[in-house]
Amino acid sequence: MIRKYIALLRMKYIEMLAYRLATFVWMTGAITQPLITMFVWMNIHPEESDSFVFYFMAVIFVERMTSAWDVWELDREIREGTFSNLLLRPLHPIHWAIAENIIYKWLFAVILVPVWVVAATFWPALRPHMTASQIMLFLMAVVLGAALRFLLSYSCGLLAFWMTKVAAVYGVIDVISLFLSGRIAPLEMLPPALREWSEWLPFRYMISFPIEIATGAADGGELARGFAIAAGWMMALIGALQWLWKAGMRKNQAVGG
Amino acid sequence: MNMRRYGRVFREFFRACLVEELEYRSEFFGNFIASFFGIAIALLTVHIFFYQTDRLGGWTYGEVLVLLGVFNTLRGWIDFALRPNMPRLLEHVRRGTLDYILTKPVDSMFYVSFRHLVFWRLIDVALGIGVIGYGLYVERYVPSAADVLMFFVLMTASLLLIYSLWMMLMTTSFWVVRIDDLSFIFDSFFDTARFPGSMYRGAVRFVITYVLPAVLITNTPALALLGKWSMVAVLAALAVAMLFLWASRRFWRFALRFYTGAGG
Repeated sequence: MIRKYIALLRMKYIEMLAYRLATFVWMTGAITQPLITMFVWMNIHPEESDSFVFYFMAVIFVERMTSAWDVWELDREIREGTFSNLLLRPLHPIHWAIAENIIYKWLFAVILVPVWVVAATFWPALRPHMTASQIMLFLMAVVLGAALRFLLSYSCGLLAFWMTKVAAVYGVIDVISLFLSGRIAPLEMLPPALREWSEWLPFRYMISFPIEIATGAADGGELARGFAIAAGWMMALIGALQWLWKAGMRKNQAVGG
Repeated sequence: MNMRRYGRVFREFFRACLVEELEYRSEFFGNFIASFFGIAIALLTVHIFFYQTDRLGGWTYGEVLVLLGVFNTLRGWIDFALRPNMPRLLEHVRRGTLDYILTKPVDSMFYVSFRHLVFWRLIDVALGIGVIGYGLYVERYVPSAADVLMFFVLMTASLLLIYSLWMMLMTTSFWVVRIDDLSFIFDSFFDTARFPGSMYRGAVRFVITYVLPAVLITNTPALALLGKWSMVAVLAALAVAMLFLWASRRFWRFALRFYTGAGG
């Protein structure tokens, strides 16, 4: 399995290099919205400017590290029928998607971490104050967030076996996550009712939770509870994905004849 | 350019696209919902910001709503007339089919920017106007006739500016053919215009006020409708719009020379 993965990773790496420019543009595409939101909050609470700078830069970083694009890929592949080609290969298609995610996020990290380090030397607000255990927990939370987003995106993509408007469904989910994952506002700035919701839904654990660990906002019992809820969602999404996969395969054969 | 003839050509584009769109009537309802959803989200966002404050860059809640309405209206126009044409030009350049357009007896820049229209996006224009009205109601301000006149003049200048910036971006497709869609670059920049320019700080504020005048595009019409306009600002906006239009025209011509050269 490991040998297979190495081969997969190498292939995806070459594929990525072939579309360097598109990859780069695509990577930088998602930064303006958090930046604008950062300016809004700096304007509302000027005295906390530094913490907002750190928070929204972290949002950009974590958002890139956990981002998921599989829903659009699956939607297109299933609709156009090219998904059948993937099914014929000896390895489950999800491994191709996982390998792609690993490669792209590795690239994001390789580019973004040095950028952060350089920026932090000039801009004290960006210097993190984290203990070794905080760093470990932060990394764990990022991986967990990436897994959650990937599973959600992939499960939604599988819905394309039944419906044609999958991208629209995912669009709605994405907008909900905009508020509840901490991209529009740090969650503590939200009205209490929304904050309550954000604790129990998976979106907080996709972006906000790792940042809360990094800033020290979440620790002790809060931390354990967060990991527990996120792990619960991960189990639920894995179950959903497996069920959708089986049902989708049956449906696919029925259409294919 | 012969304006009458171009008016007639545009009407033909309009008719052809309407016929095309009426074939997919069932999509209309879904699109309608999507537009409502979009504006609801925008309003909720503003609401969340004003949950913590009563001023944003010196603008009150009602004023920010008027601004949001102007933003939505302008974006509706972009999505109606400009956005649908972007991927098609990229496709034309990539496959060399731009030749056919260049041989048509109509201005090529006009053709590539208006050939395809997406009508349901006009819902966003209507919703934007609704939000403007609501913002004025919240603000308890009734615009005078002069305010409204200046608003329309400035909206025209804004549309010209948007068209020019959009066209310049689209023209770069002669060099950057690998990317499917450049429009998100425009969106990234235009999103900054959703909020008061006075909210931004430092270099960002300078760039979006003077270099890429996002602030000019949305803030000045909104301010005009709120009765805060000056003749100098209006004339300046018109002058800037003309300047950008001229520049985009020149850039298109320049790119065409490049295209012919490459095509051999």
